Amino acid sequence: MTAAAIAEDMGRLANPAGPIIDRQQSKLLSAMLQRISGGRRITVLDVGPALSETVEFFSRYHCRLHFVDLIDEPFLQPREPKKRLSQQQLSKCFTDHLALPEGTQLDICLFGDFLNFLDDTALRAFNSALRPYLHSGTRAHGFGVHHRAVKLEYRQYGIIRHDTVSVRKRNNSALKYQPHSQIEVAEMLSGFAFERGLLLPNGKLEMILHSKPGPSNDGGGG
Amino acid sequence: MFDKHKGNRPSAQEEPAKKTAPPMTSTPPAASMATESVAMIGEGISVTGDVNATSNLKVGGVIEGRSVSSSQNVEVSEAGIVKASISAKEVRISGQVAGDISGSEKVLITRTGRVKGNIVSPRVQLDDGALFRGSIDMNPGKAAGSKPAQPAAVSEAKTAAGSTSMGSKSLGADAVTDSSGQGKRAG
Repeated sequence: MTAAAIAEDMGRLANPAGPIIDRQQSKLLSAMLQRISGGRRITVLDVGPALSETVEFFSRYHCRLHFVDLIDEPFLQPREPKKRLSQQQLSKCFTDHLALPEGTQLDICLFGDFLNFLDDTALRAFNSALRPYLHSGTRAHGFGVHHRAVKLEYRQYGIIRHDTVSVRKRNNSALKYQPHSQIEVAEMLSGFAFERGLLLPNGKLEMILHSKPGPSNDGGGG
Repeated sequence: MFDKHKGNRPSAQEEPAKKTAPPMTSTPPAASMATESVAMIGEGISVTGDVNATSNLKVGGVIEGRSVSSSQNVEVSEAGIVKASISAKEVRISGQVAGDISGSEKVLITRTGRVKGNIVSPRVQLDDGALFRGSIDMNPGKAAGSKPAQPAAVSEAKTAAGSTSMGSKSLGADAVTDSSGQGKRAG
């Protein structure tokens, strides 16, 4: 591989994060993070970009952080109907991109706005791909919408403190905004169940999910 | 982790966590390099093979191989490109790295740094603007100053064809080796 090829490969890494545009208090995140007990190693999956504040926050813990910024992955980009990937194909793409070592058990998943930019098939596929890495104590934090009419832009979130998230603008993302109702998320993201939700003034629904027992995949195909 | 599911954690390690690790100073390895011997792979130099250094190592050129290791510190400067695993006490990345990084004391990715790989170090810092994809394994409870963790490939690197062992020197074009052990000048 030439230097140019390496540089090109690295250029595809991710969009640089934008500046912090807001700091948001979060009681739910605080409640979730305060459950982290002092002496255990925790494993965290963040499906957004690696942000300095998130790494700094977790640097006080014995932990493993997996950063897999999925929003701009080509396999999620809009396609003509004929070229759309099946749920199984999408699930495999997610698994390949997550690239989690075998035996990984996630304690915390940080979804941010990601779920609002997946269509139904992709959301089910994402659920299937995550399933093998969940355990009964897995918790997830993310944002949904109170109802589908709410219009939102994609934002990146970092963790500044237990009770404070940073909000950053994302550089252009081609993914279409496809919000799901709480009921739809509960049905399609079947590896998780709603634990707590908090309606924010802009119509966003901050949510904490916990894993629920089930098969290692949801039988999705086609 | 979560109290009510304590019994279900599959591989919890009882290492102390939430320690008050000393704050990351902004003093880069380069600062300490200023007073110590530094081996340099300068801009315009290309190395294909493995690099082992006994002194601090600064990379401004291109290294492609299995491992780059130093018993001291490694800095990949803004122009530097490394496609290999890196192992040292402190690792500072301002250029581009595709490979795993092990820092027995600290790993810092500056705002111009781009890293694709997995990092293992007691302390990891990403500056704003840094791009990273992979996993970060941190354990602030691990005592600093321990021997650098060696990736599996490193122990083999010393005997691998094309390996380059460096003390304190600047690596000029004449000293560059390729995978066949032959010198070459970077393009």
